[in-house]
Amino acid sequence: MSAVLAAAPATATRRPEGLTLLVLPALAFMTVVFLLPLLLMLWSSIRGPDGFSLSGYVRVLGDGYYRQVMGQSLQLGLITTGGALLFGYPAAFALARAKGYAQVVLFALVFLPLTVSIIVKSFGWGIILRRDGILNWAMLELGFIERPVRMIFTEGALYAGMINVFLPFMVLPIYSVVRMMDRRLPDAAATLGASPWFAFTRVTLPLSLPGVVAGVSITFSLAVAAYVTPSLLMGDRFMTMSMVMAKAFLNLRDWQLGAAMAAVLLFVALVVVVAAAVLQKRLSTARGA
Amino acid sequence: MKDGATGVEAAGHLAVSGVTKRFGAAVVLDDLSIAVARGEFVSLLGPSGCGKTTLLRCVAGLLQPDAGRIAVGGAEITKVPAHKRNVGVVFQNYALFPHLTVAENIGFGLRAQGVAKRDAASRVAEALRLVRMEAHADKPVTSLSGGQQQRVAVARALVVRPALMLLDEPFSALDRKLRETMQVELKQLLREVGITAIFVTHDQEEALVVSDRIAVMNAGRIEQLADPATLYGRPASLYVLDFVGQSTRLSGRVAEAGAGMVTIATALGQVRAAGNFVPGSSVVVAVRPEAIRIDAAPEAEMNRIEARVADISFLGSRTQLIFDVAEPDHAVVELPRLPDGLAPGAMAPLAFRVADTMVFPAA
Repeated sequence: MSAVLAAAPATATRRPEGLTLLVLPALAFMTVVFLLPLLLMLWSSIRGPDGFSLSGYVRVLGDGYYRQVMGQSLQLGLITTGGALLFGYPAAFALARAKGYAQVVLFALVFLPLTVSIIVKSFGWGIILRRDGILNWAMLELGFIERPVRMIFTEGALYAGMINVFLPFMVLPIYSVVRMMDRRLPDAAATLGASPWFAFTRVTLPLSLPGVVAGVSITFSLAVAAYVTPSLLMGDRFMTMSMVMAKAFLNLRDWQLGAAMAAVLLFVALVVVVAAAVLQKRLSTARGA
Repeated sequence: MKDGATGVEAAGHLAVSGVTKRFGAAVVLDDLSIAVARGEFVSLLGPSGCGKTTLLRCVAGLLQPDAGRIAVGGAEITKVPAHKRNVGVVFQNYALFPHLTVAENIGFGLRAQGVAKRDAASRVAEALRLVRMEAHADKPVTSLSGGQQQRVAVARALVVRPALMLLDEPFSALDRKLRETMQVELKQLLREVGITAIFVTHDQEEALVVSDRIAVMNAGRIEQLADPATLYGRPASLYVLDFVGQSTRLSGRVAEAGAGMVTIATALGQVRAAGNFVPGSSVVVAVRPEAIRIDAAPEAEMNRIEARVADISFLGSRTQLIFDVAEPDHAVVELPRLPDGLAPGAMAPLAFRVADTMVFPAA
């Protein structure tokens, strides 16, 4: 041990290489449980009953029904991401600017839902949204509606649920960027004659973009692959790519179809992640950092 | 708003009257008034928490005072939002926009105010020249040194031609050597532009260098507003005496009084000074370190006391002697040259003019 310490200065320049070795256990683990299955899955997507075949992809990309499913998944991803951004962006600012006790409470409000099981949550939504649920009862009592409105198993309810589930993934990256922002920058802009709107669009917004890009890419990748929330809130009425995959593997036993769908989903996620990385790079070079 | 000052000029280019600001139960600005003439440089000097930055933020419009009025150039701006005040601010650590280049930072205010592109470009170029940053126009501000960042911050504030310039601890981010250079440089630059400037600082040496007048602040009030020489030579209170420069301070009791003169008994001997105190009152006698000399046979109208040398420090251009006195008294003398044979432990005769002897009521 002491010999290692004594030798440390001499090997100081090689230290980073030594430290990168620390990633090996994680890398080995990921290779076994993630990379190998992934490759096997990609292999299944091009392996038909009679050897090599692209019929999985032909069906997924050519069939009207599967195209509709992919469209719905993308739509769900986009609307969830948009909604989470709409609610999450101001929330991230409130969180970053809050002090002491208020910040603790806000943090709890944003992140506590993450700790509640999705099953419990969907039961909760059921209680609120069903025909004789709380929301219908309240609106009837207040005279907004004459007879109960169907809310559960509607797309509106699905989007509300999805935004609820994925909001923290939007708030957290934006919050961490906003928290590091110099709070006097909007003040400086104001003393230079900038209206609050000008200061926001030219200073605050551009500086918060790295957080927005990260939040959007995480939320979209997760939402487009959503399985549990749409299954519980919509069932077969609203099929997503993940739900089709599950059906193909578990019910239809059509591995090639499921694997092809999975490959398409993987491709969508990769595009989003790469686009986000490129955007982040450009944002930081524009800043000269 | 900019050029409307005529009859009100007497009240000052900047007139703050009766401004009060509370944060919860704490009164940060307490019925504070100050008037600053056009083209004048005034420093707000005080320890942290004395309200100087709060006053600056109120004048800039970044804080709303609870009571009182603020006027610039004769026009009241108390309720005018910051972006319509035309008051320039150089922030502590500068608050430059990190995603913009030097030129874009300087041009920000012109764009915000809708100045035509070609006009703006020439004004930015002029401002870059003024602060000698032409060569760095297209660099990101994050690549600049502290001194360069300060120049950009000053140019950014000046380019919109503000009616008044506020500078919040503008030198605190710079190292000592650079600070001294930048103090003189910035003072000359602002003089050249002819702008009225208010500096906020906790550094008394900095205040002495850059200001025409200094307002020493204490607990949300202005303790004394005077030119540097008066502030140093005739401080209005023990607080000001302590905050600006060093001094020998001896507590004592008035022994005799009459005709505007008092004789005070201190632990080191009797001292005469100008002042009106009732015999028997507790006072503090104060003398600036350079007003004292080591002299066994002084002429008349000089006070003479004796003290034991405790410590000698060579400060380069002068030598500082600290004397052995009981707390809370403090005795310090600064001499151009150390007299021969003076060493720690020796008794030394201290002589200082009666006219240089100040008396304050004991705190």
